[in-house]
Amino acid sequence: MLQARDVTFAYGGGRGRVLDGVSIDVDRGAIVGLLGPNGSGKTTMLKLLAGLFQPLSGSITLDGRAVGSLPRRELARRMAVVPQETHSTFDFTALDIVLMGRYPHLGAFELEGANDLAIAREMLMATGTAGLEGRRFATLSGGEKQRVVIAGALAQAAEMLLLDEPTASLDLGYQLELALLLQRLNRERGMAMVLSTHDLNIAALLCTHAVLLKDGRVLARGAIESVLTEANIRSVYGVEADVRFHDRARHVTVVPIARAD
Amino acid sequence: MSRWSPLREPTEISVEKAAASPRSGVAGVAPRLALTLTVFLAVTVVVCLLAPLIGSTPVHLSRVFDRGIPFAENVDAQVFFIARLPRVVAAAIVGSGLALSGVVFQALLRNPLASPDTLGVSAGASLGAVLAITFHADVTLAGVPAVPLAGFAGSVGALAIVYVLAAARRRGTPGTALLLAGIAISALLAAIGRFIQYFADFTDTFRSVQWLMGSLDVGGYAPILAALVPLTVALAGFATLPRVLDLLSIGPESAATRGVDIVRAERVALVSASLSTGAAVALGGPVLFVGIIVPHIVRLIVGPEHRLVLPASALFGASFLVVCDLVARTILAPVELPVGIVTAILGGPFFLWLLFRRVL
Amino acid sequence: MSLSWTAPDSLALGPAGQAGAGARGLAPAERPQRIVSLVPATTEMLFAMGAGDRVVAVGSYDHFPPEVERLPRVGALLDPNVERILAMKPDLVVLYGTQTDLQTQLSRARIPYFAYSLGSLPDVALSIRAIGSRVGASGAEALATSIERRLADIRARVAGRPRPSTLLVFGRERGSLRNIDASGGSGFLHDMLVTAGGADVLADVPRQSVVMSTEMVLARAPDVIIEVRSSDEAAAPPDLRVWDTLSAVPAVKNRRVYLLAGDEFVVPGPRAVTATERFARTLHPEVFR
Repeated sequence: MLQARDVTFAYGGGRGRVLDGVSIDVDRGAIVGLLGPNGSGKTTMLKLLAGLFQPLSGSITLDGRAVGSLPRRELARRMAVVPQETHSTFDFTALDIVLMGRYPHLGAFELEGANDLAIAREMLMATGTAGLEGRRFATLSGGEKQRVVIAGALAQAAEMLLLDEPTASLDLGYQLELALLLQRLNRERGMAMVLSTHDLNIAALLCTHAVLLKDGRVLARGAIESVLTEANIRSVYGVEADVRFHDRARHVTVVPIARAD
Repeated sequence: MSRWSPLREPTEISVEKAAASPRSGVAGVAPRLALTLTVFLAVTVVVCLLAPLIGSTPVHLSRVFDRGIPFAENVDAQVFFIARLPRVVAAAIVGSGLALSGVVFQALLRNPLASPDTLGVSAGASLGAVLAITFHADVTLAGVPAVPLAGFAGSVGALAIVYVLAAARRRGTPGTALLLAGIAISALLAAIGRFIQYFADFTDTFRSVQWLMGSLDVGGYAPILAALVPLTVALAGFATLPRVLDLLSIGPESAATRGVDIVRAERVALVSASLSTGAAVALGGPVLFVGIIVPHIVRLIVGPEHRLVLPASALFGASFLVVCDLVARTILAPVELPVGIVTAILGGPFFLWLLFRRVL
Repeated sequence: MSLSWTAPDSLALGPAGQAGAGARGLAPAERPQRIVSLVPATTEMLFAMGAGDRVVAVGSYDHFPPEVERLPRVGALLDPNVERILAMKPDLVVLYGTQTDLQTQLSRARIPYFAYSLGSLPDVALSIRAIGSRVGASGAEALATSIERRLADIRARVAGRPRPSTLLVFGRERGSLRNIDASGGSGFLHDMLVTAGGADVLADVPRQSVVMSTEMVLARAPDVIIEVRSSDEAAAPPDLRVWDTLSAVPAVKNRRVYLLAGDEFVVPGPRAVTATERFARTLHPEVFR
């Protein structure tokens, strides 16, 4: 569905390569994790996948069509992005933020209708933020903001969701809730997802597949269990970790033990 | 009903609830838009109708419209049609032009303290005018004399420079690049302007200082018609922007991933805002604070949505400046204050009030 | 146009060859020989009273009489060049009363100075006498008296004639009627106008300059509008046509809008008389042929 082939990228078009020869496959219904330490290029890769930047070489296609060539509105109807942080300059409410997600479905001068409003409210409910509807977005906590933004991304009614560090500002309870929500979306609607995260346990919980990046290159790729190995973790993070399948959680867990030097 | 829901189709009940809830939010944008426009338009019309009737000279309406008296001898009519009416129209145009570009710059730069001055547009206009005054420029184009022409050219030129500088960067958000380039160009152009003033003849320096304080006494309709040309183009651009500005104000990348063509949107916004500022500054000089105060007050009344804020700011900006000019020309009669002084006097307390609102 | 004055023999002169109310006589040895003048008005006065040969440097804006073009320049009101002034080794510096910093510096260098303050028309003659006594110029008294006499003469000739209400404009935005700077009810231009037999339409506004709006012009309905320009501004072709839009103003209706150009209108010195005469000729053409 979404395919990146041999993508190379450097900011400013020249000097330091942030990504080198990265290939990623996101099939329908998959949840792909972009993993790696800080500075490995995860966020940049996510932005490239979203069509925000153009690769220096290589291609990024959505169902065969280059992402950069699709009209933005059409792309937005198929792919929604949840950035790491969102800042509202003006006094928009949480509902306003979510309603902005309906933009790709409306005509140039069309106003949001009852249907759009219903969808927006629905999404707020889905992320557990219905009670924050009339609150000013700027006054919400980090976790609440994140959930509202996710609600907005859901309101875009896209078939694919790209998330940048989605659980970074959430507490344990909301991390789990979000993970369950994403799983449900994936299961019930077949929504494909790409999420970049440095939280390996969340990745293990959520992702079906993963791409492990180190210094802009792909170190490992494939099913999540094959990527999250002690060898890979040692190689990328320099950490001795204990990786084992957790019976109750029903997924692999990663526990760091010691530095690997 | 809903084309898509992650959980279930929304039921009839929830849609009704949606429509009936207190912040009918945006199923209510249409009625709120209609209400806002009606109220603001009514206020503006009333202000603009009353303003030409008020002034330091008593004027008799009956004489103004008395066809029996030849216009060339009808002092009341000339006061009304030559001295006051163009002034009110000019104030309305300048006020709405500056307010509109203030709204757009604040959204574009994601900074509520941004104004037409921030991107060097006012500094460019000032430099153009100072040059025209100092070198005694003597061209007239379409009934517009040299100084306003130079002001317009200066403001558009400054913005072009800022845009080229910002576009040349590849890193960083466009907003930051624009802001930095704008501040740099503003400072540079202001410095050049001062340099010229310092070495100019004392009289010329005095005249450019006068120009910088703003004057709406256009005394005729030619400058107004000339200003309407770029302003109309700007309005056409502004008309495409409201929802886009909402989205841009959350962040350009967020806007892009929701379907906004941010490069095109920024270009349209910048060009329109600079045309509208250029026209306003050329018509009335760089009147301070209108571009900052009006958007803030309007947002306090109608909320942050640009579909309301843009038209309301245009209307409120017009009324605001008409009233300020009215005060400027009557409060110390027979002497007149430059309108920029009145807006500046209002500007300071306004920001104090903003500050206290936030703190309390 | 230059002025040259010789003291009439019949005038009683003091022992040092000069007079002046309350002047202490100056021996020729005490008279300043190297005078620096920063003020255009005082430069003209010095030359007119016969002390021009003792002027060694002038201000940036001094252009009369033509001889001053050959003299070195030392700055003016806003930017006096102290080093160049000192380099001239002056024994008297004529400067503006407001140039207090310069005065302090000159005192420290023990150089005497004469502080001149811009005033109104009667002050011209007074200043001439004061400067004359300070520099020991024999022609000063005669010059001052002549100026007073000529002004009195103008007054006499226009006395009893109806005074047209006049708007005296000394600046505006070129090509339009914006930012009109007019002379108010006080100051040098106002005095000249009144002496010349005009009534200042802004006589009730006690300011030297007033910014006029088109409404004010229509309301005050002057009979005559006179625009004055300095000589370099006069280089541009006149654009008096802009006044035509205000056709209800008597001055416009009766085609009594004039442009007078020349430095005598902006320098309150001996040529003020010439300026006043030109005003008078404009306002009362029938009396001055």
